Amino acid sequence: MDERVSFENVSRFYGEVLGVNRVTLSIPPGITSLVGPNGSGKTTLMNLMTGLVRPTRGEISVRGISSRDPERLCRSIGYATQFDSFPRGLTGFEFIFSFLTLFGFPKARCRTLANAAIERVRMGEAAQRKVAGYSKGMRQRIRLAQAIAHDPPVLVLDEPLNGLDPLVRSETIALFREYAAQGRHVIVSSHVLHEVDQISDQVILLSNGYVVAEGQIQGVRGEIQEQPMQVWIRSSRPAALASKLFEQDHVVEARLAADGGGVLIKTRDADRFYRSLNHIALSGIDIEGVTPADDNVNSVYEYLIGGGEEGR
Amino acid sequence: MIGSMIAVIQLELKKTFFARRSLWIYLLAIAPAFLYLVHAVDVTHDHEHRQALAAAHPVSSEALRSIAVGASLEDVTAKLGEPYANVKPNFRRRGRGGPQFEVNNYTDGENDFTFVFVDGVLQRINEQDRCNIQKDSEIFATVFQFFYLRLAVFFGCVGIFMNLFRGEMLDKSLHFYLLSPMRREVLMAGKFLAGLIAAVLIFATGTALQLAALSWHFEPGAVSEYLRGPGWGQIMTYLGVTALACLGYGSIFLAAGLRFRNPILPGAAVLLWEAANPFLPAALKKVSIIFYLQSLCPVVASSPGRNLSLLLRLLLSSAEPPAAWVAITGLLVVSMGVLVIAAFRARKLEINYGTE
Repeated sequence: MDERVSFENVSRFYGEVLGVNRVTLSIPPGITSLVGPNGSGKTTLMNLMTGLVRPTRGEISVRGISSRDPERLCRSIGYATQFDSFPRGLTGFEFIFSFLTLFGFPKARCRTLANAAIERVRMGEAAQRKVAGYSKGMRQRIRLAQAIAHDPPVLVLDEPLNGLDPLVRSETIALFREYAAQGRHVIVSSHVLHEVDQISDQVILLSNGYVVAEGQIQGVRGEIQEQPMQVWIRSSRPAALASKLFEQDHVVEARLAADGGGVLIKTRDADRFYRSLNHIALSGIDIEGVTPADDNVNSVYEYLIGGGEEGR
Repeated sequence: MIGSMIAVIQLELKKTFFARRSLWIYLLAIAPAFLYLVHAVDVTHDHEHRQALAAAHPVSSEALRSIAVGASLEDVTAKLGEPYANVKPNFRRRGRGGPQFEVNNYTDGENDFTFVFVDGVLQRINEQDRCNIQKDSEIFATVFQFFYLRLAVFFGCVGIFMNLFRGEMLDKSLHFYLLSPMRREVLMAGKFLAGLIAAVLIFATGTALQLAALSWHFEPGAVSEYLRGPGWGQIMTYLGVTALACLGYGSIFLAAGLRFRNPILPGAAVLLWEAANPFLPAALKKVSIIFYLQSLCPVVASSPGRNLSLLLRLLLSSAEPPAAWVAITGLLVVSMGVLVIAAFRARKLEINYGTE
């Protein structure tokens, strides 16, 4: 049986606008990151492999199932989209439960699977609250629960770590690793190179709808570490947080937000930054969410993509 | 497949019944019933008022009906007694010897009679009957065909069926359905059935409430007699026509919701076509939902053509109403045809929120 996710010369155009062009890929099980600047075609590629959009040209196969057969495909794929919208009026549990009922499972099984998925993302306490009242990080987690609820062998996750606090972020990464270790596909998109470096077995680098490079992460790591990175941290005690972070020698700048709701950090060493953030969170400073806010990432892409284009 | 479809129906029903945007649909459905209720209260009050006037100025129906045009004011007053109201309109005299008007009102407690005298001679008699079921059923037929079907059910179906797909596109939540292992045609069928159940429940309830409100002011005996006669048949037919209207308009607007980004344009086009139906040539009349629905209605409504000028009446063409089975079969076939086209569209449905 074919265990790969394959793209054969796939193109997708939106009218005259290019989504992706002539993509040929063969993705093995494990954690694969789709990396690229905004508008590079990451989401289009994910929508293509989940059957939400159809290729203008080419063929896509997910573990032997054609993307033109969404009825079979959707049993094998769990997709957490980037769309921060939900059916109205539902609680977290109802959201997952109702999604599972569409699979035709008996209600008792839907209930069991929904509870298991919710517990897996540690949303048990908030499960009976309306999704509309969730924080960004909670909405992100409930979308992840929806993606894993039917226990699919392929997980496709669009910017899954955005808005998560450090503890949940590391738990989520652990979940990805566990899934990958079970021989499943975990395909994540990110525009944060550090994140990619931290979690991926392999990387697919996209630019302007083309695959610029694909392969092991080591190749891009060195480039990433030379670039400073900016992170936006939401906290109820931004001054204390900034003070703690500024003690670290890799932090070169800390700027408080005008509304007092957070702090913008610039660091030279992303690995050390995230490790220290975990320690700070454990020391009792409330961290509500961590969001990359790094315009400089684009310069890394430009550097990498520019180099890639020479070789293409 | 059945389990998935039932799940879709349950989810969609919950959304349709409890969505905030459904409030105006409920309003459309019950507004006519409210108006009939106001009418019933008014008629009851009017009847009580006439009874009181008749008690103060007693006169029999026979005596009132025995008066003929040409009688003198003195003769009428001698025969009927003093009227409960006497008005002498102060019209401007156009010269010496101009006409002198006098208006006298009498009632027997049920009907109101207005006698118009000119220079002491009776010129005109207006009799205003008390409402009866026959009269009210004609009023109902007119309101049902020209307001309820053409506007309330029509726009209600726009609101319900257009939103089944288009609303979720705008909310960016349609992908949750498309990520489930269900044939898109099954999804479409489930959504349509949910919309149909909701629309039929809402608008058939509206029809039933209107009929109940309309008959509220009649004596129980008169209502029983009506029900024993054509009553139940007419009620069931009106409910059936309401359901068929939901089916016909629902299928069109579901398909339009899948095809068009802006629902206002197809909605307006269908509305214009349906509204223009009386003015269309006979052959084109038959290419509309309202033509078949009207032909199924048990009571002929007052046609708007009756009050039109001769020229316009000449422009109006009449089409022979089809037999009931032809109308019902035709509506079912058209709806199924539209749904099949919509199913092809649903099969190719993609998520492309960015361009919505």
